[in-house]
Amino acid sequence: MEGSAVAVCEILKYLIIHWKCETAGTSKGALLEGQLVISMEALNSKHQENTLHCVTTIASAGSIYGGLVLKKFLKEIQSLLPGFSAKLNWTSEEASYSQDISGVTPFQMIFEVDEKPRTLMTDSLVIKNFLHKIVMVHPKIKFNFSVKVNGVLSVEVFGTKNEPTLNLSNGIALVISCRHYVSKPKFATAELLCSRIHPVLGHPVMLFIPDDMVGMGLLGELTLTPAAALCPCPEVFPNQLNRISSVSIFLYGPSGLPLILPGQEQPTTTVFKDTSYFIDWKKYHLCMVPSLDLNLDRDLLLPDVSYQVESSVGDQSQNMDSQGQTLLLFLFVDFHSRFPVQQTELWRVHTLLTTHLSAILMESHSAVQDSIQVAMDQALEQHHQATKDLQKFQASLSVAVNSIMSIVTGSTSNSFRKICLQALQAVDTQEFGTKLHKSFHDITRHRSLPYCSCETKQLLPEENAEENTEDVQENSLELLAGTSGQVENKRLQQGLEETRAFLSARGPSQSEAAACRTKPTAASLTPSGSRASPGGDLEDSLWQREVSNLSEWLNPGPEP
Amino acid sequence: MAFAPMGPEASFFEVLDQHRASLLAALRRGGGEPAGRGTRLASSSEVLGSIESVIQGIITSVARNEAPAFTIDNRSSWENIKFEDSVGLQMASHCTTRKIKSDSLKSVKKFALILKILSMIYKLVQSNTYATKRDIYYTDSQLFGNQTVVDNIINDISCMLKMPRISLHILSTSKGLIAGNLRYLEEDGTRVHCTCGSTAVAVPSNIQGIRNLITDAKFLLIVEKDATFQRLLDDSFCNRMSPCIMVTGKGVPDLNTRLLVKKLWDTFHIPVFALVDADPHGIEIMCIYKYGSLAMSFEAHNLTVPAIRWLGLLPSDIKRLNIPRDTLIPLTKQDQMKLESVLKRPYVTCQPFWRKEMEIMADSKLKAEIQALTFLSSDYLSRVYLPNKLKFGGWI
Repeated sequence: MEGSAVAVCEILKYLIIHWKCETAGTSKGALLEGQLVISMEALNSKHQENTLHCVTTIASAGSIYGGLVLKKFLKEIQSLLPGFSAKLNWTSEEASYSQDISGVTPFQMIFEVDEKPRTLMTDSLVIKNFLHKIVMVHPKIKFNFSVKVNGVLSVEVFGTKNEPTLNLSNGIALVISCRHYVSKPKFATAELLCSRIHPVLGHPVMLFIPDDMVGMGLLGELTLTPAAALCPCPEVFPNQLNRISSVSIFLYGPSGLPLILPGQEQPTTTVFKDTSYFIDWKKYHLCMVPSLDLNLDRDLLLPDVSYQVESSVGDQSQNMDSQGQTLLLFLFVDFHSRFPVQQTELWRVHTLLTTHLSAILMESHSAVQDSIQVAMDQALEQHHQATKDLQKFQASLSVAVNSIMSIVTGSTSNSFRKICLQALQAVDTQEFGTKLHKSFHDITRHRSLPYCSCETKQLLPEENAEENTEDVQENSLELLAGTSGQVENKRLQQGLEETRAFLSARGPSQSEAAACRTKPTAASLTPSGSRASPGGDLEDSLWQREVSNLSEWLNPGPEP
Repeated sequence: MAFAPMGPEASFFEVLDQHRASLLAALRRGGGEPAGRGTRLASSSEVLGSIESVIQGIITSVARNEAPAFTIDNRSSWENIKFEDSVGLQMASHCTTRKIKSDSLKSVKKFALILKILSMIYKLVQSNTYATKRDIYYTDSQLFGNQTVVDNIINDISCMLKMPRISLHILSTSKGLIAGNLRYLEEDGTRVHCTCGSTAVAVPSNIQGIRNLITDAKFLLIVEKDATFQRLLDDSFCNRMSPCIMVTGKGVPDLNTRLLVKKLWDTFHIPVFALVDADPHGIEIMCIYKYGSLAMSFEAHNLTVPAIRWLGLLPSDIKRLNIPRDTLIPLTKQDQMKLESVLKRPYVTCQPFWRKEMEIMADSKLKAEIQALTFLSSDYLSRVYLPNKLKFGGWI
């Protein structure tokens, strides 16, 4: 049976495809812009034990959709979710709406399901990851996602509006802030010299449809454009020899929609199980194995496919314990036609890709392989060059330090040696040598590399929402396993207010709008950890505790 | 001290003696040799102290969390060169510099190599041993890459510390030869007696160390090419023109050959003449002996002999002697560019006769090697050309 997550994701996909087709005529190639609100409100079921009755609402914040024939929409969506038990409804006030003159219609739909708490948690994580993936290529779309379980409300806002992007074709732009792809390194934020990734686009290749799928009636062609980047940028650690430790592959279809729903067994990605089917890793002296990390609960953009470098004995260098770099590979599949693409056709393409991507890619194996390889070569060239430069740098500094040491230790002038030792506050020549080496390393760390043209950027404390403890107490919200980059305090508050206002105005079925008070928990009032830390560990444990003890839900704590 | 009395009569050298007298008079008028500015011989403790001072500066920068850098004079830039008639080309007092930084990928290796060679110099001076530039290169040829890198860094260090290479205990390999009426003692006590026979003596590696120079020579002849030098040896030129001294640097002279010529001039003040091919390359080589080179301008006071006169082969000699045209060689494009470059050099303005000769060459677009004289007769050079030039003052 399909759960809420699948339903929400399919509905969103449908809406975005519809939206894309509607705007294609007027502003082809422009980024989609708008805001959607998704809320899931769950209360203990009165009829089943250990079950939550969940009402999911998807609505537009503002009237942005045009030409959406609601009945047709409902029918089509229902047909896309044959295994979905819930009935999709509009609110009673909406049922009588007809298309207004301007062609834009306020939009809201609701469905209700009963599901286990664990399923609800998984669904919310799946939805969260899906929304995250969408905003990574649609920087002007914003999602307010709220989950309320027995009165405890969590809200997250997904949006990447002011982040740096790389424009791609056909109205999508890839967000290139590296914090979505890799966790903050173990060093102080002040040392971050480049916060972007630098994708290298491969040349687009046409994808051939396998013979048995030709009869789908597509009047256009599929193309694949790869983009490869290293994360973090080699500029971040100019004096560190960073090995590549993992590969993350992200699959996007037409209209910038993710092809994969996270956390599910995907026949679509079977072709990637062979790590070297498209990429010759030996060329880079790497040995890749599929990564089995299925953890949905993470701050970062969840890859559709991930590999890990298989470390060998020969790799036991001194830098093995440093954070390795991740090679990011984005595969953008698009659909082009000489004729205006109809929504149904685009939906068919999407369905084809979600179910037969492996077969399609295999059909064009050689071309896909070439295109990906070229993009990877260029992306890794930077890494190789950085590695070579770093080796050169380190070798030279080593010569310099040894030469200085040779003179200092060989000098018969007491005053000279004393001055040198005092300058570095060393008690003996051994300590002097250690300090000299470290000092040279520290001083030269911030040298610029010739190939990274980024402006240096420091992560400022105010950008990290989780560090603002005042808002924790003010809002008293418990977040889902948070993503520091996505949630900002003011936006969080705004998102909460929008969600509340919207739900109360539109009359959710469970009229808890008035009762949508935040319930501060002891943990959320704790300054240190209740905000979404980069790992969201405390929130995770709180959530786990909440769902594992239903009795607590039945007896909510005292109001503040 | 008398040597083998095989030379011409005393009257042969009248013009030469007059020339020498005028040179000495000019020296007296100029207040003697200018005091050695720029580099000077330094004691071991001075060298060690200078190097320690450099290291101290680096460590102070590091302690202040600043990336250390060397500031090096731009030795090879014409902007930093001034010309003085009595000295030749020398570095200007306020010259442009460049920084060799430790935090730049482009220069970190050079920064490290400078320190490496400084540490090697430190050890040489401490242990009172010497090494050639080649020795230094071979201590770690992989690190240095090539000899030119080592040579340039050594020159940079010499310029930076304002100490001649010999004070840094770095010797350059000599390739020059000497022949003629000269005796001296090398630093280790070896007696050297240059002969007038068919063999020559190699220019010693440690010119500053030689002492007890003795000569009767009436002149010193600098010969550009080894081939011409050997020819003159074979023709017993030194005996026929005795007493005299001949030196060759075998092309562009090395430091020791230049130092030797300078030392002979400083010691004996005998006329010094250059015998070079009548081509831009030969003229340039002659200018190196006389006025110095761009690269070594920081050591000009130790190396230049402005008193050098151009004996031959003059471009005007070609026409005067009716040297067959088919023995002449057209100037190549590089020759013309070099000739234009030499004509623009600051020292040419005070040498109007040299300028005239170069203009003759430029107009004819032809050059000639000294060997062109063999078309007149096989021993024309040693039997006729040079003796006439020397006897009748055919130098400019």
